[in-house]
Amino acid sequence: MFDATVVTNSLASGLLLGGMLALTALGLSITLGAMRLVNLAHGELLVGGAYLGYGLMRAAAIDPLIGLPLVGCTMGLLALPLHRAVLTPLADKGMEAQMLTMFGVAVVLNNLYLLGFSADTRALDTWYAARAAHLGPVTVPVIYLLGFAVALLIVGLCHLLLTRTRFGRELRAASSDADAARTLGMDVSRVHALAFALGAACAAMGGVLIGMAFSFNPASGGGHLLNSFTVVVLGGIGNIFGTLIAGLVLGVVQSLGAVVFGDGYRDLVGLLLFFIALALRPQRIAATGSR
Amino acid sequence: MHSVAAIDMGRRSLSRVLMRVIALPMAFGLFAMVSPWLPDYALEIGFRVFLLITLAEAWNLMAGYGGLVSLGTAAFFGIGAYAFTASMNHTGAPIALALLLAGGSAALVALIVAPAVFRLRGLYFTVGTLALAEATRLFMVNSTAFGGAKGLLLAQDPPGPRELYLIALSLLAVATLFMTLVTGTRFSILLRAVRDDEDAATQIGVRPFRVKLGAFSLACFLTGMAGGLQGLKLGIVEPYGMLGLQWTINVLAIVIIGGQGLRAGAVVGTVFVVAMGELLADWPALHLALSGVILIAAIRFAPQGLVGLWLRAWSSK
Repeated sequence: MFDATVVTNSLASGLLLGGMLALTALGLSITLGAMRLVNLAHGELLVGGAYLGYGLMRAAAIDPLIGLPLVGCTMGLLALPLHRAVLTPLADKGMEAQMLTMFGVAVVLNNLYLLGFSADTRALDTWYAARAAHLGPVTVPVIYLLGFAVALLIVGLCHLLLTRTRFGRELRAASSDADAARTLGMDVSRVHALAFALGAACAAMGGVLIGMAFSFNPASGGGHLLNSFTVVVLGGIGNIFGTLIAGLVLGVVQSLGAVVFGDGYRDLVGLLLFFIALALRPQRIAATGSR
Repeated sequence: MHSVAAIDMGRRSLSRVLMRVIALPMAFGLFAMVSPWLPDYALEIGFRVFLLITLAEAWNLMAGYGGLVSLGTAAFFGIGAYAFTASMNHTGAPIALALLLAGGSAALVALIVAPAVFRLRGLYFTVGTLALAEATRLFMVNSTAFGGAKGLLLAQDPPGPRELYLIALSLLAVATLFMTLVTGTRFSILLRAVRDDEDAATQIGVRPFRVKLGAFSLACFLTGMAGGLQGLKLGIVEPYGMLGLQWTINVLAIVIIGGQGLRAGAVVGTVFVVAMGELLADWPALHLALSGVILIAAIRFAPQGLVGLWLRAWSSK
């Protein structure tokens, strides 16, 4: 029914794309796990990373992949005052107030991008991105391979950060029981601020990779937010390995959906997976979803 | 605690009921009577105000009373618009019947997705409804049955501004009637009990799923009717306009700026948002960005909105 090479190629690109999805989802997962924050501005932070990469490329001719750490650090540094200004004052007002505030932030950022950069769709074009890489019988764009490798590297570094450092220990303590951590003398609000910055940095770096492999415009944040949510719900909150596997699953499912139903259905198939995941894994969500 | 609140509500509600029985119908009658003398611009603004109050009342029923913060307004609004246009074109139904069908379709979709989205307690309901809105939009863009990205054209000409104004006023009257019935009866107490503590409510014999389903489907019914009316006004439904996030943003801004869980909040918030929209009509992106800023400020400094601020100033006098 379908051409075998088309199917294997799209399976391979789906798998590679899944690595990038896992990186962006990790950003959402960290803030959700550590701060109980449903960061509805996640997609806008991701797109913001892509614009930062674009600016670096245009203004300083820095290759987006080389500029990646710079974009991550910049977004992390920008996230700290944002956290201080909008989230810290709401720390004891419950999850709903923080979530709706982040929705407000998403609306503001979305329209600021529109005002500043127009509605044009852009891409982080590099000379190597569109070249084909041949891996035995499979052909994929070079940028998919590079993006996958870089995403995997960053996810691995995050894993080390969360399991091997003092900050990681504090972050895990704050996510499992914030009150107990506070009693033990930890500065939980500082940990939250850093977790927010780390989540934003992951989103921004994922945004650069996605901007190199695909394209982006001011409105593309919403779709990325839902993609990341699908991965988090599938993989479990705060579970790095689960996030990675779930990212790969979503990438493959989306690519298969695009082959079977047409490219327009790529995201719709992903959302279907989201609803199925919600229906089948309620216990995962109930554990952290209740107040 | 709940029973104390209920008794308190019972005492206060006598004067409120009198006010609603007399004052509200008078207000509606007045708005209807002045319509022959209103210029087109006033009719246009009136239409938008009535439509948005209806949407805000519906959202307030879910979020303010039931704690169900939905980001899926655009989905049900758009579904209503599509159902309205399709039924007008294919069955030749009168406008009122087509509007009921629009609301019914939206409520039906709400019933279908309810088991999935209600499994997610609290904030995941929000993300589930946001995903539903995006899925609906993507489906309409890609499906050929509903005209894809081009959408559906209404076969007949849209009515004039005066008629639209009166239909919107009637829709608001229906919504107000529903809301008065719902917020004045036992159902609103059940809904608040579920909102404040779902487990405790279950313990005392409330069935949270049914209560939430009732509020969700009624709100979606009203939202769908409003969507159908917007479809009638424009004479065309297409996925980017009708299913766009701006509807959700506007409704959210209205209720939060006006005051969550307060009946007057929808009216005050709508007047504020429509006035701001008119002032910034030439800069839509700036308008939405400012809505976001005001939303953030309202959550932080006025969690009960403008009406809440006013009530607090009033009671401290």
